Amino acid sequence: MSKPSKKMTLNKKHNLMGWLFLAPGALLILLMSFVPMFRALMLSFMTGVGASMKSCGLLNYTRMFKDTVFIQSIKNTFFYLIIQVPLMLIFALILASILNNKNLRCKGLFRTMIFLPCATSLVAYAVIFRSLFANNGIVNLVLVKLGILDAPYSFLTNMWSARIVIIIALLWRWTGYNMVFYLAGLQNIEYSVYEAAKIDGASAVQSFFRITVPLLKPTILLTAIMSTNGTLQLFDESVNLTDGGPANASITMSHYIYNMSFKYVPNFGYAAAMSFLILILVAILAFLQMKVGDKRD
Amino acid sequence: MYAFLCVVSFFSVFPLYWMISAATNKSAEVISGRLIPGTYFVQNFKALMANQDVGRALANSFKYAIILTLVSLVVSSLAGYGFEIYHDKAKDAVMNIILLAMMVPFVATMIPLFQMFSTAGWLNSTIGFILPTVSTPFLIMMFRQSARSFPHDIMEAARIDGLSEIRIFFQMFIPTMRSTYAAAMTITFMNAWNSYLWPKVIMTDATSQTMPMVVANLTQGYVTDYGMLMLAVLICTLPTAIVFFCLQNAFAEGITGAVK
Amino acid sequence: MKRKILAALLASTMILSLAGCGGGSSDSAGSADTGAAADSGAAADTGAAADTGAADSGDAAAAGGETLTVWCWDPAFNMNAMYEAEKVYQKDHPDFKLNVIETPWEDVQTKITTAAASGDLSTLPDILLMQDNAFQKNVISYPDAFVDLTNSGIDFSQFAAGKAGYSIVNGANYGVPFDNGAVVGCYRTDVLEQAGLTVDDFTDITWDQYIENGKKVLEATGKPLISMQAGECDLIMMMLQSAGASLFNEDGTANIVDNDTLKIVMETYKQLKDSGVLVEVNSWDEYVGSFVSGDVAGTVNGCWILASIQTAEDQAGKWAITNMPSLVGVSSATNYSNNGGSSWAVTANCQNTDLAFDFLASTFAGSTELYDNILPSGALATWAPAGESDAYGVGNDFFGGDAVSAKIVEYSTKVPSNITGVYYYEARDAVATAITNYINGSSIETELQTAADTVNFNMGQ
Repeated sequence: MSKPSKKMTLNKKHNLMGWLFLAPGALLILLMSFVPMFRALMLSFMTGVGASMKSCGLLNYTRMFKDTVFIQSIKNTFFYLIIQVPLMLIFALILASILNNKNLRCKGLFRTMIFLPCATSLVAYAVIFRSLFANNGIVNLVLVKLGILDAPYSFLTNMWSARIVIIIALLWRWTGYNMVFYLAGLQNIEYSVYEAAKIDGASAVQSFFRITVPLLKPTILLTAIMSTNGTLQLFDESVNLTDGGPANASITMSHYIYNMSFKYVPNFGYAAAMSFLILILVAILAFLQMKVGDKRD
Repeated sequence: MYAFLCVVSFFSVFPLYWMISAATNKSAEVISGRLIPGTYFVQNFKALMANQDVGRALANSFKYAIILTLVSLVVSSLAGYGFEIYHDKAKDAVMNIILLAMMVPFVATMIPLFQMFSTAGWLNSTIGFILPTVSTPFLIMMFRQSARSFPHDIMEAARIDGLSEIRIFFQMFIPTMRSTYAAAMTITFMNAWNSYLWPKVIMTDATSQTMPMVVANLTQGYVTDYGMLMLAVLICTLPTAIVFFCLQNAFAEGITGAVK
Repeated sequence: MKRKILAALLASTMILSLAGCGGGSSDSAGSADTGAAADSGAAADTGAAADTGAADSGDAAAAGGETLTVWCWDPAFNMNAMYEAEKVYQKDHPDFKLNVIETPWEDVQTKITTAAASGDLSTLPDILLMQDNAFQKNVISYPDAFVDLTNSGIDFSQFAAGKAGYSIVNGANYGVPFDNGAVVGCYRTDVLEQAGLTVDDFTDITWDQYIENGKKVLEATGKPLISMQAGECDLIMMMLQSAGASLFNEDGTANIVDNDTLKIVMETYKQLKDSGVLVEVNSWDEYVGSFVSGDVAGTVNGCWILASIQTAEDQAGKWAITNMPSLVGVSSATNYSNNGGSSWAVTANCQNTDLAFDFLASTFAGSTELYDNILPSGALATWAPAGESDAYGVGNDFFGGDAVSAKIVEYSTKVPSNITGVYYYEARDAVATAITNYINGSSIETELQTAADTVNFNMGQ
């Protein structure tokens, strides 16, 4: 009879331990993120120029659906999300499983080289990409030499090519970054599992789909949520590669929010309201991803 | 397979090569698209040293990035561990709420945060620099996800041996999850090293300039010296690359030895 | 040990939470004697640990009476000017010191906005350099953050009227003009020669003549005359101002749809592009690269572009400058305009405004010596007495021995003044979108209507 009650207290103790473990991190997030977020939320119901603000109800929230530039930025951002995130994650997963091969030579070198793009500082990355895709840049040079183009094409000033350059830049910069998580995740899978599969006659492709992908599911979920979040808040590429152009064809939501806060006559209420739209969008997508991916077997 | 890796690596490394060769060329040559290393490295180096206090910026960047990385790893891994190992409905719900914290663009919360820090008297201080990014939903979730593969039977065995919960964390979890820690360390270091907007807003001394600020300074004049700029960028990139190279074995060479 | 760490962390978060709950408004750390206090007074301060002193360790107020802190961003240019000004002022005030902090313009803007919006101006310096186009916006948005200089003892009448106009808000002066942004037409004389032209063929001309000449150059050498960054409307704004036109009316409303000058400007720009005389490039680097590498035979821009041109050392002696072409069909058209430039503003965080006023009055608004000293760095005055100095008459070998400086100062006195507008950046971006779509085949009326709608939308906060 005493056994179950002892178990109860042990469970209770563990439960309490859990809260203690997560308390510092959770409290810091509460203070550093949720308190300012709450203030931003209050701000999103206010309007005015600079320091003089007055209450305006839901005006900012209805306003954004009449804002043609903002609607354009939502479309652009979702275009990036739909094309770039799946491509990048698949590519990173393939690279990680190749580089996890025990028999591969120069693994460390390859890994470092593939990671390098995301270590490159933003300034260099922007200058490099702009010069690669310049009218007299290498990309044009090669395409003209190969006879694919007759004359240099102005990649960054045409609507679709500008968007595609942004996607290429994102893929280049973040694939290696995501690969890191997959590589780290793969280490928690016993290598002998792969060897056993090999003995059983499984091909590399089969073990990729039957072992790697299922066992990496928690990590895949993590990267999917992070990339979705990162893309919906995309800022650097839009600002530094195309400056949102041509004619707002590549501007992102965050870039527009930034302009609204710091470039234009500051309208913090409106900027805050648009930011909360991003929160809602990311939260919905993350919720769906969690539904699919966050099950403990 | 090697051919594939070589192609991918080529594309990855090319910009770095470009950076190095740009750092050895004159500004006019860089924007004319010269790709071959030149002989202007020493001049670029001297110009950079005369123009910016690179030594101080490097020291600052290292100081902030190292403090932030260490504190952040402890706080976030404790939390991630707590969320997963002792998971129940309430904690899962809290985790989901915490994730919301990263979903609002920083530009929207920066001004309220600045207000808080000004009230607390933390403008222009190290604590003001690091505190907002010590605990991130991203790192917490990363540790939570990888704690999922921490074997429960080991924990039970340790508990029977009489280890306290906190000792299980420090003596069992941390060594076992070496690869996760190494990956988290790389990423956190990189983010801390490259952070710009918040440090810029909160730090007002000339003496607290970090390396990314030096790089930004160089892009501001009416005339940009691209050779010098690329040299600064190279100096700014190397530490992260080196950190990665040193840690990549730790996070990719497996931990099978530890889990026995 | 570990428990101690945990305890310390918990304690620190507790402190934070107390401070965080401290209240909506912050105490502007002891700056009650300036206008700063007025704007933080929204809610009564609950007092929590606000005056710890750490908050204002960066500003000059703490450093005593003889030091001023300054933000500006170019070591070779405006920072150098400040250091020279310090030397000039130190002759009469040996204890005077400047603390110049290198801060890129975009960061200056971010920090102004953050500080002013938070009501804590203590992070601002005493003096900062502001882009001329941002004065209206910042002063209107945060009137309490800047000091009115009208009665500071600085004589604004000696500055070029077009230049000083940028920093006049509601009739009050908020900025001491610094660098000159008078527009110059720059040409490669050796390339022009191949087409049988000289720089005289580009002096006092119209854009029609410019295009004619440009076609000749293109035919003879295959080189365009000018390159411009696509999606940026620098040239559009220069053309507008050359006729004294603007995107706004006196009363602040947008002047876009029925702006005939703007239509002519857009048509001219399209003709330039269609004729191949103007080539659009993707970025600023590419723009500078286009003439430094010799692919393009010239440019039209603010005079500060000369510094970039002179980095092409191999082209020394092959360049010449003159005024810009004028618009056709506009009665107020001139050959002079302005692009870029900045002015010094005094912030409300300045504890010793008398010192700041006196410093600015006796340097940037009162010392030919200063302007002579900074001339080699390319900083041209908009302060009339400086232009009369002998130093401005010295020839520049890069431009064939021409007295470039004197020429530019002369241009700057002829620049028509126009209205910047509080919503300058919004309008500028909207027009940039309009011009891009217009070049790609859309009609000018549709695009101007869309641009006007965008600007009016932004103005209707």
